[in-house]
Amino acid sequence: MATEGSERFDQVDWSDLSRSGRFDLSINSIGMLLTTLPLALLAVYDTQFIGDRTPTFEFIGLDRTFEAVDFFFIFTLFLAFWYLVLPLYQNPRMTRYYWKEFKRNRPAVVSMVWLGIVFVGGIIGPLVMSAPQQELLVAYQPPVFTSVVESTPATCVGEVMNGRCHGTWEYPLGTTNAGRDVFTMIVYGMTISMQIAFITTTIVATIGITFGTLSAYSGGWVDEIMMRFVDIILSFPTFLMFLLILYIYGGGLGMFIVVFSLFAWGGTARYVRSKSLSISEEEFIKASRISGASTYQVIRGHVVPNVASSIITQLTLLIPGFLLFEAQLAFLGVGDSTVPSWGQLISAGRSDLSYAPWIVLAPGIVLFLTILAFNFLGDALLDALNPEAEAESE
Amino acid sequence: MGFGRYVTARVLWAGVVSLIITTITFLLLSAAPNPDVQRAATQAALQGGDPAEAVERARELRGLDEPLYVRYFDFVQGVYTLDWGWSSSRSQPVIEAVGNALYYTAQYSIPWTILTVILGPLVGVYSAANMYSWRDHAATGFAFFGYAIPNFFFGIILLLIFGVWLEVIPIVYNTDVAVFSVENAIQLAIPVFVLVTGSIGAVMRVSRNESAEFQNADFMKTAKAKGVSPLRAYAYHVMRPTLVPLSTTLVGQLLALFLGSSLLVEVVFGIPGLGRLTFEALLSQDTNLVLGTTLFFTFVAVVGNLIEDLVFTVLDPRISYDDR
Repeated sequence: MATEGSERFDQVDWSDLSRSGRFDLSINSIGMLLTTLPLALLAVYDTQFIGDRTPTFEFIGLDRTFEAVDFFFIFTLFLAFWYLVLPLYQNPRMTRYYWKEFKRNRPAVVSMVWLGIVFVGGIIGPLVMSAPQQELLVAYQPPVFTSVVESTPATCVGEVMNGRCHGTWEYPLGTTNAGRDVFTMIVYGMTISMQIAFITTTIVATIGITFGTLSAYSGGWVDEIMMRFVDIILSFPTFLMFLLILYIYGGGLGMFIVVFSLFAWGGTARYVRSKSLSISEEEFIKASRISGASTYQVIRGHVVPNVASSIITQLTLLIPGFLLFEAQLAFLGVGDSTVPSWGQLISAGRSDLSYAPWIVLAPGIVLFLTILAFNFLGDALLDALNPEAEAESE
Repeated sequence: MGFGRYVTARVLWAGVVSLIITTITFLLLSAAPNPDVQRAATQAALQGGDPAEAVERARELRGLDEPLYVRYFDFVQGVYTLDWGWSSSRSQPVIEAVGNALYYTAQYSIPWTILTVILGPLVGVYSAANMYSWRDHAATGFAFFGYAIPNFFFGIILLLIFGVWLEVIPIVYNTDVAVFSVENAIQLAIPVFVLVTGSIGAVMRVSRNESAEFQNADFMKTAKAKGVSPLRAYAYHVMRPTLVPLSTTLVGQLLALFLGSSLLVEVVFGIPGLGRLTFEALLSQDTNLVLGTTLFFTFVAVVGNLIEDLVFTVLDPRISYDDR
């Protein structure tokens, strides 16, 4: 899975390739630096120069506050753009090949579309839609095309026919017991889910790849100790430990993301280690060693890119677990109740389930579809990126 | 390394892991302010006493004024001699509370585990035998559905349909009925169903993919050529090698579900088992009970991983003990 290189051998720009010193930055890294710098400055400004309660964007008149999670989320978005999306554009031939392989899996394409909607909704939604406000007068509005007994909603916004209140397009998925629009809350929940997905993946990938390659290249007793450490991480009951941490210290979304990603990289590290051990036996590694590449250059230029493409699958399959944990914690009522996640919405609607089931059903189905989509996507990526794995299993 | 030495090393390692997790739990707890002490201070302040003095007394009462290492050794000793302290919210020893709760957890965990272990591989091998037929697609669809639907959400929906609308199951678990009675079977049917759909998907997928490999193996062709009946051929020549790789994922999968979902399912269905005990202990800030239930789940996980490793080496003679 070459991620670099030209289409034809005679067109390779050798002067370009030989510029592989440690301090020559690729266009991706330059872009990354250029975009991260303002973000870092903004973060410093937010934490050092203005008060805790002042909105981050007050200096341009916007009433919007950024938390640490938001800054980190944007950082991971930049990472994904410069090191995942842009390389795909830079290597059109491989992209076409991956797409051809990926396209054969119909459910995966549908999943991709759905995740795309969730992603775009999560990024743009909160910018164009104002946060759902409490309006007790319009509590318990039914979703559009459905109707409930007239006595359920406080006042019916739609038309009343035969003693039944009909839903309107003003509240397409109905409203909660506090009169908040369920659709808006789901869109806000998309942001939370995408934040969880992106940040945890970044942390898990960073620690997992570093730990795995280090372990593989150290060898001997260092390797042994590092792998035993991974054993402990893997047998750690994270969910319970997090409950314990919540009980003792309390904590919000940031705490959730940090704790869960710090205990989820065990499998990734193990996988990266075995993969890099097998890659370092390959001929091209030997060739580059003979040509005088240092261990750092070998790892950076050959091992990590080759490993990275195959752990994407594994990471994709980790995300649904995180989303599920968040929803479970929110449902138990021990999550951060100020975070507008899907799980919070499910737990908020639970007591009204028998007469206002849409409050639970709508976010529950969205959560279900998202988890399903990540699973399908992971399966398809496995086939597209690792043709050998497919050959083995067939 | 011989088998005996491997087992010894593995058991010792499990002991080390449990000790490390116990230590981390202890450090977490000792780094945080103790809610019992804070409560004592609040109470003293409300009654016009001196909060500082009350804190001092409460700390002394719980032995918190001793140096850290003394408390640590006491704690570890208590954990391993099953002296887990007194639960203030339930007014009984922690170990007794855990035992009572385990009684209810076992009532749904045992049928759930048995169903998953038996049905999962059977359906998986069946759908591999009929690969790409509509039955296979239906089984795959079901597997993905069960895998992706959040257990607690599924539980709520089923409770709404069967408990509230159809009224065929009680909404809150009734502890008065006998264990082996029809009423108990009815009220446990939905929780067991929810848990089985959650866990069976992964088992089905793994056994389907693994057994696909053995279907066209030479020994299958030989068996078919000899005229072995398909049922016998699948039972003896496909099922058995499939179970080996399956056993590695199975224990882990079941444990993960047991640790996470049993809590949710118990809260949704109102079963007074271990998960609910943990949850209620957290809500009522009963430190000893929180610790006890957490440690119990941890030990289950450690022992489960140990058994998984041992079973794997026994089942698959190709594994050399030196690699692991």
